[in-house]
Amino acid sequence: MLDITDLNAYYGESHALKNVRMRVPKGEVVIIVGPNGHGKSTLLKSICGLVDKVQGQVAWNGEDITHLGTAKIVNMGITYIAENRELFPYMSVRDNLKLGAYSRRAKANEKKNEEWVAELFPKLVERRNQLSSTMSGGEAKMLAIARGLMSDADLLCIDEPALGLQPSYRTDIFRIIQEISKQGKTVLLVEQNIPQLFEMADRLYIMDEGCLSFKGGKEDALSDDQLKEILFGM
Amino acid sequence: MFFEIIDVFISGLINGSVYSLMAVGLTLVYGVTKAFNFAYGSFYVLGGYFAWLLLVRYGVPGGYLTVIVTAVPFFFVIGFLSEKILIAPLRRYGDWEMKVMMLTLGLSLFMDYSFQSVFGPRVKSIPSFTEDIFEFGDFVILHQDIAIFTVSICCMLGLRWVLNNTRIGMAVMATAQNPVGAQIVGIPKDFIYAATFAISTILAGMGGILLCQKNLINPMGGSDIMIKAWVITAFGGMGSIRGSLYAAFILGMLEAFVGWYFGMMYVQIATLTLLLVTLAVRPKGLLGRE
Repeated sequence: MLDITDLNAYYGESHALKNVRMRVPKGEVVIIVGPNGHGKSTLLKSICGLVDKVQGQVAWNGEDITHLGTAKIVNMGITYIAENRELFPYMSVRDNLKLGAYSRRAKANEKKNEEWVAELFPKLVERRNQLSSTMSGGEAKMLAIARGLMSDADLLCIDEPALGLQPSYRTDIFRIIQEISKQGKTVLLVEQNIPQLFEMADRLYIMDEGCLSFKGGKEDALSDDQLKEILFGM
Repeated sequence: MFFEIIDVFISGLINGSVYSLMAVGLTLVYGVTKAFNFAYGSFYVLGGYFAWLLLVRYGVPGGYLTVIVTAVPFFFVIGFLSEKILIAPLRRYGDWEMKVMMLTLGLSLFMDYSFQSVFGPRVKSIPSFTEDIFEFGDFVILHQDIAIFTVSICCMLGLRWVLNNTRIGMAVMATAQNPVGAQIVGIPKDFIYAATFAISTILAGMGGILLCQKNLINPMGGSDIMIKAWVITAFGGMGSIRGSLYAAFILGMLEAFVGWYFGMMYVQIATLTLLLVTLAVRPKGLLGRE
C-alpha cells in the first residue's frame, strides 16, 4: 500500500506538485488523468526517488521512502516505467532486460520473471539480440515495460504507455496491464488514451496544475464533469 | 631495411598497446561521468613510483608479479577514495563537470609537486621485466617488449570481460549509455561513478608500471602522458572505448614511423596534425557518437 501525504515537488523555481495526498491500496489499478505538463509524471517520478527536491512524505507499506534514493526504492519493490522509455540504446534487448533485474530483490526471482516476460512479449524473445536503439517506437515501449517487469516490483508506476503509439499497440498495452494486474501487482498509471482501461480502474484521480483531486471509484468518477471534459471533451 | 621496418612496426605495436590502456581508462571516465580527469597522467607517474618503491626501495619477493597483483587493489582504493572525497561532493552543484576538470587539474599539479618533494626531482628507473632477447639473424625482439604487450592486452581483455559480463561492469556501461535509465533500474549512480574512476585509476597505474620500464619515472612526466591520452581519446571519439583502442594503435604506429623516418622532433607535430585534421573532418572523432 502506497500512502502519500502533503507531497510537494520542485524543479528549480517551479512548484510542480502542491500538497498531493493519495492512497494506492495493494492490488488496485489507479489511474491519473489531466492535461499535459501539470505534474502527472512528476508525481510518479517523486514516488520513485527521481526528483531531487521533494517535501512531504511517501510511505510504502508503512515505511517512509521519501528520501531513500531510487536504488533502495527499486529494491523495495517499486518501479518506474518512463514515458520516453529510457532504454540502454547500444545494448541488446536481452541485456536491457537483464539490467532490469539489477536489484538484489529482482535477482532472486530473475528466472521466473524472465519466463513471464517471454510469455507476455513473444516478439522480444525473437529480437533478443537486436540493439534497442534500432527498434521502432512501439517495440521500444514494450521493451521498457518488459524491463520494468523484470524488476519484480509490487507497484508499477507506468507513465503514458500509449503516448505516441499507433492505435494497434493500445490493445496490446491494455492486455498487458490486465495481465500485470491479474498477478496481484499494484498499478499506478498515467494514461488517458485507452478508454477500456477506465473500465478496469479501481480509482481515478485528476491532476490539475500540480494539485491532485480524488474522483472516487470508476462509477462516481465517470459521471464527474471535469473528468468527462478531460477524457471525452464533453 | 626490411628488418628495420619490422623493428619500427613492433615498437609502434608496443606503444599502441600501452597507449590504449591509458586512453581507454580516460575515455571510460568521460563516457560514464561526462567529466574529464586531468589528474590521469599523475596516476600514471604514481604507477611508476609504486613499482620503484616495491622493486628498488624494498625489493619485495616475487618481483613484477607482486607489483602487478598488488597494484590492482592499491589503485582501485586510491581511485575510489579520490572520487568519493574530492569529486563526489562537487556533483551537488550545477555545472559540476567543469568544476571536476578544474579540481583534477589542481590535483595533478599537487601530485606532481608532491612526487618531486618525496622522491626528488631527478628521474628514477625501474628494472625491466627481463633482459632476455629473441634473435633471428639480424632481427631482435626484447622479451620485455613482448611482456609489456602481453600485459596490456591482458588488461584490455580483462576490462572488456568485466564490462560485458559482470554485474558492476554492465552497470557501468548502462550508466554511460543512459544515466536516467540506469537510475530507474536501481543502479546506485554514485557508487558506479566512484567505481569507474577507480577502474580507470588502475589502468593509469598499470600504464605507469609498464611504460616507466622504458621511459624512466619523471615526477613531472604525467602531463606528457596526459596529453597523449587526451589526443587519443579525442581522436578516437570521446567516450568510445573501441574508438580509443583503434586510435591508440594508429597513433602508436604513426609515432614509431614518423620518429624513424623524419626524426623524433616531428612526432608530436605529426600526432597533433592528425588530431586536428580528424577533428576538422569529423568533429566527433573516429567512433564518437554525438
